[in-house]
Amino acid sequence: MAGITAEASWFCCGNAWGPCGSAGHGACGTCNSGSMQHAWPNTSDACYAITRPDSCGITGMSRRTCGFRHATTSPCTGKRIVTSIADCGPQTDLFCGERSCCGGNCASNRVIDFTPAAFSALGLSLSSGLSPVSIDVA
Amino acid sequence: MTTTMDRRSLLSRAALGATGLVAATAMGSLAPEAAFAAQTPDAGQPDPNFAEGVITGRNQDLLQVQGSDGRLHRIQLTGVTSVWKLRPTTIDQARIGDGLYARGVLLPDGILAAEAIWVNIVNLTVAITAIGRNGVQFDHHGQKVVGHVQSGTTAAVYNGTPAVSDLSMLTVGRHAQVIGAWRPGTNEIDIATIYTSN
Repeated sequence: MAGITAEASWFCCGNAWGPCGSAGHGACGTCNSGSMQHAWPNTSDACYAITRPDSCGITGMSRRTCGFRHATTSPCTGKRIVTSIADCGPQTDLFCGERSCCGGNCASNRVIDFTPAAFSALGLSLSSGLSPVSIDVA
Repeated sequence: MTTTMDRRSLLSRAALGATGLVAATAMGSLAPEAAFAAQTPDAGQPDPNFAEGVITGRNQDLLQVQGSDGRLHRIQLTGVTSVWKLRPTTIDQARIGDGLYARGVLLPDGILAAEAIWVNIVNLTVAITAIGRNGVQFDHHGQKVVGHVQSGTTAAVYNGTPAVSDLSMLTVGRHAQVIGAWRPGTNEIDIATIYTSN
């Protein structure tokens, strides 16, 4: 699969405070909010059956498993990070067609979820919640 | 172009009280979006320039934070630290018992000089289960979460359109993503932004 442009969000993991207290360490058992990690919607058959990016018209989503590294660039800030897969997600099918923009850069459909550490390392504020990104193999 | 060393130096000096807001403004944005990583951390590893946890102590503007991964953090708030707690606010709003995420620069003495902190922020994928006059109830992975609407702050984004204060198009049964501020010790949040389809 070639690099893709899509929406990114963030999620907590690692039994942290508040509603994250029951989040656990993700499908890979390694996820922590303070680490440079992300969730990917096709880590296994069971994962794909939940996230269903195909229902949003995204075909050919590569199967990539725990520890696989992606490089992500924010068109909003120009920053680039490398993170590894630590969980299954986001649930792409719940937000088909949703669009987020910064400046003149827009993207649709959620394909990647970052830990708070990774999302903010892109220079994005956690309070923004969503942002367009470009994703490629690291 | 502002260099990493410039900003590291700025934050270090700000942490020591040797500089101020005017100097910071001259260096660039003070918004959370300006938070940065001074060193590129390895994929999968903890980012030394980031901290997460619960505030367990506060000595003036130095926070003691217990991380959920067992790490202990000392976080220095400065005149250039941007603070979010439901909305952009001031450093005095970070209180013992609050949860937080912080990004800044780890100084040689182990203190994180904070460029941005987000206090009690949550980002939840939920299903809307009830809508009331002053709040919205959610199902979050089987757990009930009570969301409070804050007049003048709470906004809705429908299908990626610009945020509006009108929540009338929220629908019970729909999925949503909610950015909000957790009320410590409860299953309640104050809603900042709710993203949903209509």
